[in-house]
Amino acid sequence: MSAVVVQDLVKRYGTLSAIDGIDFEVASGTCFGSLGPNGAGKTTLIRILTGLVKPTSGKAIVAGWDVSKKPDAVRGAIGVVSQAMTTDLDLSGRENLDIYARYYSVPSKERRERIAYLLDRVELSDRAKDLVATYSGGMRRRLEIARGLIHKPKILFLDEPTIGLDPQSRRTVWDLLHQFLQDEHLTIFLTTHYMDEADFLCDRIAIIDRGKIKIMDSPALLKESIPGDDIVEIVTVARQDGMVNPPLAEVVAELSAHNFVEQIIQKEEGPYTEGDATESHHLQVYVSNAAEAIPVLMSSLQKQSLKVQSIGLKQCSLEDVFIHYTGRSIRAEEGHKVNFFIGAGVPRRMGG
Amino acid sequence: MGRVLAFVERDLRKFTRNPVIIFSSVCLPMVYLLVLGNSFQGTVKNLPFAVIDQDHGPYAKRMIERIASIEAGPGTVEHIIMLDAGKAEADVRSGRLKGALIIPPNFSKSVSRGTSPQVGLIVDNTDAISTAALQRVMTEAFTYLKVDAISVRPDRRIPQLRTLELYRKLDYDASIVPGAVIMAIFMGTMTTGAFSVVMDRFQGVHEAYLSTPLTKGELTLAILISGVFVTTLIALIVLGAGIRLTDLEVASGLSAYLAIVMVIMLSAMGLLSMMCFLLARIDHPRIVGIFGGFLNIILFFPSGAVYPIESFPPWLRAFSKVNPESYAVHALKSILFKGMNWSAVRDDLIFLSGFTIVMYTLATLNFKRTL
Repeated sequence: MSAVVVQDLVKRYGTLSAIDGIDFEVASGTCFGSLGPNGAGKTTLIRILTGLVKPTSGKAIVAGWDVSKKPDAVRGAIGVVSQAMTTDLDLSGRENLDIYARYYSVPSKERRERIAYLLDRVELSDRAKDLVATYSGGMRRRLEIARGLIHKPKILFLDEPTIGLDPQSRRTVWDLLHQFLQDEHLTIFLTTHYMDEADFLCDRIAIIDRGKIKIMDSPALLKESIPGDDIVEIVTVARQDGMVNPPLAEVVAELSAHNFVEQIIQKEEGPYTEGDATESHHLQVYVSNAAEAIPVLMSSLQKQSLKVQSIGLKQCSLEDVFIHYTGRSIRAEEGHKVNFFIGAGVPRRMGG
Repeated sequence: MGRVLAFVERDLRKFTRNPVIIFSSVCLPMVYLLVLGNSFQGTVKNLPFAVIDQDHGPYAKRMIERIASIEAGPGTVEHIIMLDAGKAEADVRSGRLKGALIIPPNFSKSVSRGTSPQVGLIVDNTDAISTAALQRVMTEAFTYLKVDAISVRPDRRIPQLRTLELYRKLDYDASIVPGAVIMAIFMGTMTTGAFSVVMDRFQGVHEAYLSTPLTKGELTLAILISGVFVTTLIALIVLGAGIRLTDLEVASGLSAYLAIVMVIMLSAMGLLSMMCFLLARIDHPRIVGIFGGFLNIILFFPSGAVYPIESFPPWLRAFSKVNPESYAVHALKSILFKGMNWSAVRDDLIFLSGFTIVMYTLATLNFKRTL
């Protein structure tokens, strides 16, 4: 049975399409991740599914209810952990949980037991009486997860649950969610722009970009879906000797001529020096056999008078999956957007 | 109802844990009472005023004595004797003096001969209130100037005015206690109720409770209940302090206390509902500040708390008819100063109830349950 069913969902703000006709289903008892850069439409999607934003068109069924028609029923069946920290700073940890349990009409005895259980699970029992204002970011996030589970929801929605947390706190939150997923018979729907988070937690991932789902599958199958068995990462040296490097298109065309090369992508966050002709190149070459490919690639680069700063073999990650399907890095999306995708030796600019 | 009470409890706990807001809500209206009561006492007093006597005759001296007696009595003016009329005029222009009286040479002769005696009064007519007060003092000083002796028996030919005071005498600072209470109610509505929701929106906290089964009606009701509870408490504290500070004797008895609490609660409900309606979609506390300052002025001053409504121009009188604070001030003045009389406050209670119902309905309709 599906915990969430989304059909042709659209959300427009004026002429901007935040969600642009997406369809997917989330199976009960699984963790589903919506992965994408900031502005991809992930938060809008989660807000529609939790009844906080009305869709422009399309249908969203959550826990068996249509969000547009029965938002109150949906709200009673779900727990939500928002991207922003939303616990009340002037209340203690226990008071926060108690008040939210009452919003969900949890009976008094059950409420007390549930609060004690959850505080223990999120390791905040000893700080339960302290005001939330004295909590660290990680503690506050753990409390919010406990609050989201206070009424034993069927589905827990988390919007960027570890954003702004230090690595140790992130890992704690992941472990916590992993345990709750098993112990509470939950369905988890989370949004994230952290590849490792999605990889660790999610059974299925939808890569969202500009309001559309680019690809959706399990992390393992997503990694398998991109061409080539191996990824050879090449960084060439920036020219400081008055000479100029050959144009990137020529380099790519030369490398693409080899049969073992499946795809070449330029990583825009690679080393960079001013001046097009002298800048270094940072390329990811998807090849079928790295052991055979690396010496040949080196030879090709030398033939073009390119000096290699580094060459390495790397495992395929969700980052590579994201780059493959969207044509750019998820991290680059947060900063500058000047990048382009080169497929099988045919350079082309990414559109908006 | 459990959900509503949980929200109310949340609001109250948050309020009580912020001592600055509690202090401001209770103390500022009392400071207002003290400042306004002492700076703006209903009658003009201590106006600095110069007398230039160029006559030095008996009637000039009598005139100066009469001014001195007014100074010793009502204390409207504080006079000084000057010799130079030019210097006095310069002092009036610079604001050091509010006016200067010039008694010209031969003034006494003109008075005794009855040949239209005149004195000169230099005033800063940009200050209309002081000018009018000085003119009143001078007119009073002229009266009976030529009468050599005042009869111990009343002159039966002159009609006598007998004033019947229906209520006990009231000092000005005591008379603005209802205004201070209304000010406290207004400040309560600014720091509770809709303001809490605006702060939640500003901090993003609202996203969490909007994701729960709390309905629109439950949210607006909870906002109203918590706001009324806090505001009523603040207003009663300010009322108690106001009575104590001004030695105001108030009507006692259960019905009077009940009526006072009713007026305060209804006023708080009306104003909180109005703020909830106006601020239902606001997400920045700065906008509340702008609204608050504006509403405080346009609701408070035409309410009759400081000046009688009847003296306003017609358009302002019309506004006062729909201003909830006018009815609250009228009702509180009636109960506090005139004794308990339900018929005197019935119309006020009806208006405040109707205003609350209309505003609460509008607030609920306008409240946005989504982001």
